[in-house]
Amino acid sequence: CDKEFLDRPPEDSFNVADFFQTEDQVVASTNALYSVPWYDFNENTIWVFGELSSGNCRTWDPRNADFVNFAVNGNNAQISRTWEALFAVVAQANTIINTLPEAVNPNVPSGVVNNALGEARFIRAVAYFYIVRIWGSVPIIENNADIVLEPKIARNPVEDIYRFIREDLEFAVANCYPKIRGANYAENARVSSGSAKAMLAKIYLYERNYQMAYQLADEVINSGEFKLFGGDGADGDSSGSYFDLFIPENDNNPESIFALQWTSSSRYSEGNGLQSLLAPSGFTGGSDGYSAIGISPDLLQAYEAGDLRFYATFMERNAFYPNLNGGYVVPDNIDFQGTRHGIKKYVVGADYAIARDDGSGITSTPNNTYILRYGELLLIHAEAALNGGGPVSSGVESFNKIRRRAGLPEIANPTLDDVFHERRIELAMEFEFWYDVVRQDPATAIAFLSNTDRGTYNSDTGELQSEFFQATMDDLLFPYPTVETQNNPALLEAPVPYDFK
Amino acid sequence: ILSQFLSAQNTIQGTVTDSNGIPLAGVNIIEKGTSNGVVSNFDGFYSIKVAEEAALVFSFLGFVTTEIKVTSSSTQNIQLEEDLESLNEVVVIGYGSQLKEEISGAVSTIETKDLETIPQVSVDQMMQGRAAGVNVTTNSGQPGAAVSVRIRGVNSISGSSEPLYIIDGVPVPGESEAGGTSPLNSLNENDIADISILKDASATAIYGSRGSNGVVIITTKRGKKSKGTISINSYVGIQEPTNILDVLTLPEYAKLQNAINDIYNLDPIVEFSHPELLGPGTNWQQEIFSNAYIENHQISFRGGSENVNYFISAGHLEQDGTVLASGFNRSTIRANIDAKINDKIKVGINLTASRVNEKITLNGRSDGIIGLSLLNSPAIAVYNPDGSFAGPSLRDDFRTENPIAKALSLKNNLRRNRILGNIYAEFQIAKNLSFRTEFGGDFGTILNNQFTPRYSYGEIQVANNTLSVANNYNDFWIIKNFLTYDNTFGEKHKVTVMVGTESQESSYGGVTSTDGNFVGNDFPVLGTGDAADNNTQFKASQALESYFGRLIYSFNNKYSITASMRADGSSKFSEGNKWGYFPSISGAWQLSKESFMDDFDAIQNIKIYGGYGEVGNQNIPNFAYGSRLNPVNTGLGTGFLVTNFANPDLTWESSTQANLGIDFSLFNNSLNATVELYNKVSKDFLFQFASTNFATGGMSPGAINPPWVNLGKMVNKGIDVTLNYKMDYDDNFSWNSTLTVSHYKNKVTDLGDVPQINGAMNINYDGQQNITITRAGDPIGLFYGLEVEGIFRSVDDFNGAPIQYGRPFEDALFGTTWLGDIKFKDQNNDGVIDDNDRTVIGNPHPDFTFGFQNSFRYKNFDLSVFLQGSYGNDVFNGINRLLTAGNRTYTNQLSSVLDYWSVDNPDASAPRLARNDTRNIEISDRYIEDGSYVRIQNVTIGYTLDSKISEKIGFSLLKIYGSIQNLYTFTNYSGYDPEIGSYNQNTLLTGIDAGRYPSPRTFTIGVNVEF
Repeated sequence: CDKEFLDRPPEDSFNVADFFQTEDQVVASTNALYSVPWYDFNENTIWVFGELSSGNCRTWDPRNADFVNFAVNGNNAQISRTWEALFAVVAQANTIINTLPEAVNPNVPSGVVNNALGEARFIRAVAYFYIVRIWGSVPIIENNADIVLEPKIARNPVEDIYRFIREDLEFAVANCYPKIRGANYAENARVSSGSAKAMLAKIYLYERNYQMAYQLADEVINSGEFKLFGGDGADGDSSGSYFDLFIPENDNNPESIFALQWTSSSRYSEGNGLQSLLAPSGFTGGSDGYSAIGISPDLLQAYEAGDLRFYATFMERNAFYPNLNGGYVVPDNIDFQGTRHGIKKYVVGADYAIARDDGSGITSTPNNTYILRYGELLLIHAEAALNGGGPVSSGVESFNKIRRRAGLPEIANPTLDDVFHERRIELAMEFEFWYDVVRQDPATAIAFLSNTDRGTYNSDTGELQSEFFQATMDDLLFPYPTVETQNNPALLEAPVPYDFK
Repeated sequence: ILSQFLSAQNTIQGTVTDSNGIPLAGVNIIEKGTSNGVVSNFDGFYSIKVAEEAALVFSFLGFVTTEIKVTSSSTQNIQLEEDLESLNEVVVIGYGSQLKEEISGAVSTIETKDLETIPQVSVDQMMQGRAAGVNVTTNSGQPGAAVSVRIRGVNSISGSSEPLYIIDGVPVPGESEAGGTSPLNSLNENDIADISILKDASATAIYGSRGSNGVVIITTKRGKKSKGTISINSYVGIQEPTNILDVLTLPEYAKLQNAINDIYNLDPIVEFSHPELLGPGTNWQQEIFSNAYIENHQISFRGGSENVNYFISAGHLEQDGTVLASGFNRSTIRANIDAKINDKIKVGINLTASRVNEKITLNGRSDGIIGLSLLNSPAIAVYNPDGSFAGPSLRDDFRTENPIAKALSLKNNLRRNRILGNIYAEFQIAKNLSFRTEFGGDFGTILNNQFTPRYSYGEIQVANNTLSVANNYNDFWIIKNFLTYDNTFGEKHKVTVMVGTESQESSYGGVTSTDGNFVGNDFPVLGTGDAADNNTQFKASQALESYFGRLIYSFNNKYSITASMRADGSSKFSEGNKWGYFPSISGAWQLSKESFMDDFDAIQNIKIYGGYGEVGNQNIPNFAYGSRLNPVNTGLGTGFLVTNFANPDLTWESSTQANLGIDFSLFNNSLNATVELYNKVSKDFLFQFASTNFATGGMSPGAINPPWVNLGKMVNKGIDVTLNYKMDYDDNFSWNSTLTVSHYKNKVTDLGDVPQINGAMNINYDGQQNITITRAGDPIGLFYGLEVEGIFRSVDDFNGAPIQYGRPFEDALFGTTWLGDIKFKDQNNDGVIDDNDRTVIGNPHPDFTFGFQNSFRYKNFDLSVFLQGSYGNDVFNGINRLLTAGNRTYTNQLSSVLDYWSVDNPDASAPRLARNDTRNIEISDRYIEDGSYVRIQNVTIGYTLDSKISEKIGFSLLKIYGSIQNLYTFTNYSGYDPEIGSYNQNTLLTGIDAGRYPSPRTFTIGVNVEF
């Protein structure tokens, strides 16, 4: 027999070592980093932190209620799902970061290669940003192949993780293409050098380096790369509005800095599963529509009268949505988890819902999930300025751009509390609020969490039954998955400084 | 005197034939009491000079030894009777056969006539309890479901431990197929002539790389030189469910929900305000289980002439499942034909074609039909008053689906067509040298249709229907060429040498297409729905190239030595690691044939044998040594995800095994015993490394599978005992019993740098839980968790008690430890309960397993009683964990939960009700149960009509029989069935009950006629 008889490379997929031969292959190599590995986090758990634990939302569902009342332990399935999904993103990004430079055909232009590496490092940074905010100290992994056979791996300190994230983003700033987000939305889909700069501004904000945060946010604003959808200033795009941000046709509009890119595939993990969890029963055409969470009394009361964002974020009884399911009147008994309301953001309509091909009746949609958009960058700019990172007046202008778009009066001299409130409302149901709460000083955070009403309204009478849960210092970070501490007990030992190359 | 003597010499001559008059060549003819003898020639002719009044003894393998008195006639033609018993003495050993008495490896054979009346659809199930050292576990009562077969313990951690099957020379792997079905269920068990199980490495080394888990050689029936017979075998039967778990009735459920609602601070449910007034509600288990029908019909034609023999059969089996909407049917045809072209060339074909249709019920998990029926609320009806299916209410966050609706509306059908067979040609090159070439193939298609109709039950509304069609194929071919040289030198030195080569290739693939939004639910056809079509394809191939040889030498029928060697090149490994070499040697000594044993009459037929061999295992996915990129759809177009970590150093798992055995007979051969000891060492076993989830992404869609590695060392030591007692008291009564007992001790002796391997599983939809542990020095897959000391019943119990998982002793509904919570044991005495207090809490390995087969015949009646069982193994009752959690709304529970702790019930047997965060459901010995059982697996009673009467009405055989399969199980296990097996055939998850499809009790009556 000849030698080839016993040589059987894969026939339906690529051998990693043989990939990266053409420019197209290198460009396509990062596509999956924008979606599939994020799937479980995006669908099932991004909101248990951002909305449930923060007190923006509430639920009765026993599986998720632990996040409302600070009873989460390492056996909670949502914890391990989040852990696995975010580290899967890291692992996939690392494969490109480590394999591409070695395996790429030398004929592929270096600019193409570096842009792909920049995207991969940007996405690794974002995954670590979630990880460090949820768990604090974890192992920094630069190359999974180096550690996959190691039974015990030490964790690294939080400061080192932030430095690791910054270095990734600085690489992305230097190597990703600069671009201007234009009217051809599809061309806006990938992250750019400016996306990385904007994300880096947010990292500096978390590190309380307000000067750098301000400076980078300011550079991004002045670059003209992004526009506020429905904004009225020089950086505004009058063709849209806050409500329009969440219409699938407007995916990758000029306000989008980084968004997960889903598709209308019927295969598991390729579409956006948020609607499946957040829509009312019977809404999607599938067996889903789980009404998993509902607005808490605290958040409901936090909305100012006339705020245009409420209609785009939550559904009130009898409200009318002309572009949903051919004209949707919210049922007058809608009552997600005892809140007398439904959820609108990321509920985009049955027209977009694709049933999964596994017969489960569960659907997904092709619309993006925002991770960072220009509206938030303006608030970062404002917060950094108010903290002394730059001229206050310029920060106030950014702040009021957001107020004006929301149909609210300007605040001439906003405080940091005003910015905190504005972030809460602007980004409600975009799964950010928990991190905003806990990055304050711990005492403030604990007081806030403990005084957030997570109760219910009687469905018929509307009577409020308040419910408060006492948070403690330990609750500001989440426990590692039990399976993981059993497999790697080093997670329970003191963090070890990371050896940066 | 001399002249007298001379005149007394006679020359006797004649022809020896079989009962059909076919000449027999090579028959030994000896003058009785002398060494004077001759051998019949090719035409069966012999001629011998003998003394007057001498007697001639005719002996020939496979025929009854016959003695005749020399009469005055000089011509003595003789017909020899075939000896049916001694035919069994030739044992198939792979690439040949061998006399049983000369075999030096550990080989068991199974009497197939015992299996004919057993209503099981696949051969692997039938092997249960029939051979020592072969441990068969039926994982599911679903018709046609896969079983776990372990020959002499567990050999590999994540490589498969299933044996290799050789069906008429065609290798068929034992791993389960799509939907957890057995690869052997397409074989008609009535076609099987014999089953040889090669257990030790000296026997399996001739199969080299695929021999480490044992080899089961299945040979189908062939024609014989005889007048044609037609044989019909039919049975019909009823299967009934055996066991129903005691879940809550509606009033009990309402009471529990009211209590749980208080814990969750939910509004009271108005309908449940007076539980005692409620009716019994829906008994979901009764709704999904029902009696089911089974029938099996088979007809075969068998016969032959001098040059052509044939066996032709057709069979059909129809089995409904005892769980709603499950079922199995199979049609098979077979033709086995052998033809002699001339004196030098013999050719033949074995061919079977089969079609299997299966209706698959989701099973084995809590979202399967059985899981749903256990969890579903008894408050929900099966049907609404208008006849439509009922479903859960809006408040139910779990949306537990109506299992009846699910079973009846979802369609999941699997159709498998398969052609399996081989053709051969055998050339007699010289007197002692033959050459055989075989071409075999196994070609199949699998068509899977899954349709989810448009439906609405309660709050579950599915507006769009979906269809998924998977069309998979596999093409396997094998070419074998081997030379066999067979000669006897100096009458005492018998030598058989075989050398050969073999190439095999398997390619497989498939296309899955989906469509949806069809106009109606009636005729879903791909392409006619409104949904975007979606297609995916997979394909792969693997190849194996082999060279092998074997020498069998026996001296004077007393001593025999077998040595073999095989070299296998496999596509599973990278360049430089492809080839593995597998030698073996074994010997046997017929002690009873030694002259010094002549006077020792108490024991007959003593044979002592032993051997040593090396075998391998390559049972891992293709291209596991490299890393691959799989395409996925993304919003940016086609994207690529890395699926696995590479390990270019990956190579063969090797296993060495020493075997020592003794066969002996007592009491004039009525008691036959075999005792075998073995020591099996697997090293560098193939193992998919148990990496941390942060290194791989765990089970997430973007996860990168950990690399396959060669790791560690594992030892299996064991003893297999077979005792057979048979007694023909007289023509009217006979008795035959066989007891097989198997014991093994598994120990992992080395795991390299890895401190432990955890066996994790998402058993109750509460995330991955580590349930087993594997460490150097222990057996593989021990249950691992906390030990329960009791329940905190009074405040005094908190005094000095260790803090459990950092939860203070405080009266609160969650986040604390309080009265009614489980008290775990502080194993390391550090004053706190945490993960470091986990310990070994159970062992899934049995102390021994056994089978006990008894047949009695009295006149025309025969009775067979077959028992089998397992002793000393623990079971992790995972379904029980879910059904006793007492921490969720809208979830039914076992009735034992009602005895929950409360202030009013301080002596409760169950802990307090709690929220989802409760630590009471930690993996602990609460869920460990003794899995020992004895099962009356089969009782059959038959009546055979007297041949004189049956012949008058035209039959040569007429037998009617009745049988009960799975009659009764003696066990203390509280779940459906103590026979659990390995979850998904994963060795690390052995003995974990995740909601098994219970095996039914089956009553059949059948008839067997020949004419």
